[in-house]
Amino acid sequence: MNPKSAFVNKYKDLLKELEAHEGLAAMFADSAADFDSAADLEALEAARVKHLGRKSPLSLLLRSIPDLPPEERPIVGKYGNRARAALEQGLADRKKELEGVELERRLASEQVDITLPGEPFPRGHLHIITQTQWEIEDIFAGLGYRIAEGPEIESDYYNFTALNTPEGHPARSLHDTFFIEGHEDVLLRTQTSPVQIRVMEKEEPPVYIISPGRVYRRDSDATHTPMFHQIEGLAVDQHITLADLKGTLETFAKAIFGAEREIRMRPHFFPFTEPSVEIDVSCMICGGSGCRACKHSGWLEILGAGMVDPNVFGFVDYDTDEVQGFAFGMGVERIAMLKHGMSDLRMFYDNDLRFIKQF
Amino acid sequence: MKVPLSWLKEYVAVDLPAEQLAERLALTGTEVERVSRVGVPAADGNLERFVIGQVKKKAAHPNADKLSLCEVDVGGKVEQIVCGARNFKEGDKTAVCLPGGMLPDGRKLESAVIRGVESHGMMCSEAELGLSGESAGIIILPEDAPVGTKLAEYVPVSDEVLELEVTPNRPDCLSIYGVAREVAAVTGAELAPEPVDDTQARGDDSIDELVKISVADGRLCPRYGARIIAGVKVGPSPLWLKARIAAAGMRPVNNVVDITNFVMWTLGEPMHAFDLAAIAGRKLTARRAGKGEKIVTIDGDSRVLDDSMLVIADEEKPVAVAGVMGGESSEVTGGTTDILLEAANFDGPGVMMTEMALGLRSESSTRFEKGLDPELVPGALAMASRMMVELCGGRLVPGQIDIYPRPRQELAVHLREEKVTGLLGIAVPAPEIVSILESLGFGCRREGGAIHVTVPSFRADVEREVDLIEEVARIFGLDLIPPTLPSDMRVMGGLSGYQSAERDIVQALTATGMNEVITYTFIYPDFADRLRLGDKDPRRDCVRLANPLSVDQSVMRTMLLPSLLSTIATNLSVRNQDVNIFEAGRAYLRADGEKLADERRTIGGCLCGSLRGETWTGGGGQADFHTGKGIVEAAFASVKGRFSVESCDEPFLHPGKSAYIAVDGRRAGYVGEVHPLVLEAFDVDRPVVAFEILEDALIGSSAGIVIFEDLITFPGSFQDLAVVVDKKIPSQDVIDVVEAAGAPLLRSAHVFDVYVGDQVGERKKSIALSLEFRSPERTLTDEDVDAARGAIVSALADKLSAALRE
Repeated sequence: MNPKSAFVNKYKDLLKELEAHEGLAAMFADSAADFDSAADLEALEAARVKHLGRKSPLSLLLRSIPDLPPEERPIVGKYGNRARAALEQGLADRKKELEGVELERRLASEQVDITLPGEPFPRGHLHIITQTQWEIEDIFAGLGYRIAEGPEIESDYYNFTALNTPEGHPARSLHDTFFIEGHEDVLLRTQTSPVQIRVMEKEEPPVYIISPGRVYRRDSDATHTPMFHQIEGLAVDQHITLADLKGTLETFAKAIFGAEREIRMRPHFFPFTEPSVEIDVSCMICGGSGCRACKHSGWLEILGAGMVDPNVFGFVDYDTDEVQGFAFGMGVERIAMLKHGMSDLRMFYDNDLRFIKQF
Repeated sequence: MKVPLSWLKEYVAVDLPAEQLAERLALTGTEVERVSRVGVPAADGNLERFVIGQVKKKAAHPNADKLSLCEVDVGGKVEQIVCGARNFKEGDKTAVCLPGGMLPDGRKLESAVIRGVESHGMMCSEAELGLSGESAGIIILPEDAPVGTKLAEYVPVSDEVLELEVTPNRPDCLSIYGVAREVAAVTGAELAPEPVDDTQARGDDSIDELVKISVADGRLCPRYGARIIAGVKVGPSPLWLKARIAAAGMRPVNNVVDITNFVMWTLGEPMHAFDLAAIAGRKLTARRAGKGEKIVTIDGDSRVLDDSMLVIADEEKPVAVAGVMGGESSEVTGGTTDILLEAANFDGPGVMMTEMALGLRSESSTRFEKGLDPELVPGALAMASRMMVELCGGRLVPGQIDIYPRPRQELAVHLREEKVTGLLGIAVPAPEIVSILESLGFGCRREGGAIHVTVPSFRADVEREVDLIEEVARIFGLDLIPPTLPSDMRVMGGLSGYQSAERDIVQALTATGMNEVITYTFIYPDFADRLRLGDKDPRRDCVRLANPLSVDQSVMRTMLLPSLLSTIATNLSVRNQDVNIFEAGRAYLRADGEKLADERRTIGGCLCGSLRGETWTGGGGQADFHTGKGIVEAAFASVKGRFSVESCDEPFLHPGKSAYIAVDGRRAGYVGEVHPLVLEAFDVDRPVVAFEILEDALIGSSAGIVIFEDLITFPGSFQDLAVVVDKKIPSQDVIDVVEAAGAPLLRSAHVFDVYVGDQVGERKKSIALSLEFRSPERTLTDEDVDAARGAIVSALADKLSAALRE
């Protein structure tokens, strides 16, 4: 008997009792030793067959009980079954132990190269203009604005006249307009502001909308593409002030360029607003101290805005004694360029996947 | 508008450095594009090295025929200078650049040995000082020029120039004096009176005897003023005038022309000088041109006019396109002696339409187009007359023409204090309002809570109370306006259902691995041929641009496909692999009887290559029809929409691998492999699968709000079914029969295998379906399911002659 056997140690008390029957104790010790020394699951299975199988000495002993002398029967019966139960339990424990070892061995042999790239789930990219446009839309949606859309092939009336830019108005020369063949008064919209007119014609104040979309101007170089994207905003209500315009656009600028940004208003001219302003944001590259991007001024122009000109309200039959409002307009590409440090506008429309997949 | 600082300072006593002045102007509404320097560089004391010198001795250069050797007094010192010019003599005074001086073109002058003789300086030509483009010899200064004095103190050879971007509503700032007035208002500096001193007329004749002038179209020509300067000597302008003209970015021509340009720049009133002798019949009329009438303008081009344009015509022909450009025939030349000086007011929109029709813009027309102040006319005539008398030796003929039948009416506007506060969101005290407006030239009188404001003639842009509020705001300081948000907003913001769905679709497409592109909506007219569209295909009938930038961008697309195929071609040309792209854009179709187009929001995509590129884990296969259909399914799934497919005969698609997409039986797009001939026409050398779906139909197919169905409480029962049918029968037909026969217990049926081959025989195929039976009310029994399955099997046999596969 192997005194070091863990199995025997565990069943020391049982073993003492088993000495009541000479053969049993030896059988038990023999089995326990084999279970203990089985090096793997295969050896353990062999030991199980040998010691607990139908033809094992223990099984044979238990099966021979009816043939034993009556006085031995209870002893063999009692201790034989207890030995069997203990061996079965011990076998199960040993099996679990060996399975653990086996698992560890298998896991240790299954190492992968963790530096290889992962399974490539396809992931497409939204165009950076769309990403920027959505970001701007979401900011204004959060401020209570709806999103209004309208036609790109637009009449002169909505694009210019109703925006207080009648025929012959000098501001028209600022827009190099594409006209549609066959109709002198149909054009590709040069701005998304005509949508504002269309909304105001249909709805009564209060109106809080932004109108994003493609616009067209007849110009093409590194800083102009003949098609680009604008987002124009309009707020018309009873007591809208220039201060509200400033606060709204300051909120916007901080949301899109960072909380530390400042804005400033400079007076400007647009035919459909009075007063008109341009909005600068403190340079996000140098933080306002002056760099090449902001031409050492510390400020970057981001959009034009102003208080809606009473003439515009006249075109949509809004009562200028009852309501006033502000409007603003920005180029989506310009916002994206400032935010991402781009300098050539044309890349937006080359649609080179190397560009698109950057964002 | 270029504003040389030294010129500006003649009219306003501003002492801010140029950069600070520019900043102040920018913040009050006058954008300064840049501050530049013209002429001689001023840094590092360079201006000290340019002095007035006098030639004391001029001798031949010992070693060079064409050079002379001079001794030049440069003030207390005589320098030896070698000179190549010939236009001077001993005693002449000129501009000298001393060694170390840097010229306007950046060259630095050093003492040098020229053909063996030392030279310590250079006598300068106008060209070398940046005063004119080319010049024949050195500058000869007047006799009274003080020798040894810094040249810059005598002639403005060095200046800082503010380049202003003047907004179209402020033509008054297209003049030095107008800018001076603005500068005075925004800095508080003192403004000099307008420089409109007149000169005395002389002689016994009168203008009325010499020329007859009439205005035939008073709308296009509200005012016409003229004077005659007789006996002028046309020649070069004095140096100071050339320097002014050059600093303003114009080219000095001769004294007469330079004076008209100088007056225009100073006061903002474009002028024109006619050679009186060249005016036929000595009669001028401001009239509309005849249709097809011609004029050769002073730039040498022949122009064909039409009857919308105003011309100034003599008895025979137009001599000027009014307000735009003069004619060559009456141009002032070296032989001109009598000048007819025109200062007029032309209608802004009229001039703009003329210049647009002619494609001709000038300093004059860009001012007139904005609508000029008619009150500029007398001052401009006075200033120009005085200068011509002083600088051209002429005589002002008594009398002047001034046709001005409807003089401007004085305009008064009431400005309410509470309106200022109400619009700006900050209170500006009345005294401050008054002081701001007065500094800008407005007249103010307080009347109770309002201010009675009279608008000066040069501010035609100000007509209403709100215009005055803008003036107050910009000078008061926009930086003082507090940032607030609209109070009491009674609205709700956010995306509409349609807009949210649009985003869902686009995001679903990117989730498949496709990349979004944004392409120009105007394309090449031959796209229809390249797509093999039939002659009567409505997609050939494009909206065309009247003035495209190029033929390649001349028609509005009627489909997204050409844009996408071109984008694939350009990507392949730069070796980008796996070009899987989509666009959410519009297609533009002509709308019958409507002026505007039918703009169809469309989702279009193209797959070229694999959605999962080659990697070490294995690559994805080339996209085919069913890849494209899978993308379309993903798009519909993103909005919980449904579509069906129909056979398709689009000429640009593979006839056997294409389908129309239909929603509720209405055609809503297509999906299919692109026809090889189309690929060839677009220079795409590998297969492409394309689809386009109308967004309205796609979003409209949505089932809307999902109504709960209990899929949990009672378990479903799953069965597989393999049937053999004729090869030509579409699998959808099988599914339709199965779904109809299996109702109501059959919840779903989908194809998981299709087999064609020996085991089922020629002309047959086997379709394996996975069926799910379920009831929301109870657990199905085997009998339930067997009955349903039996119904399916017999329906298949009945309707499609389908047999169960053994």
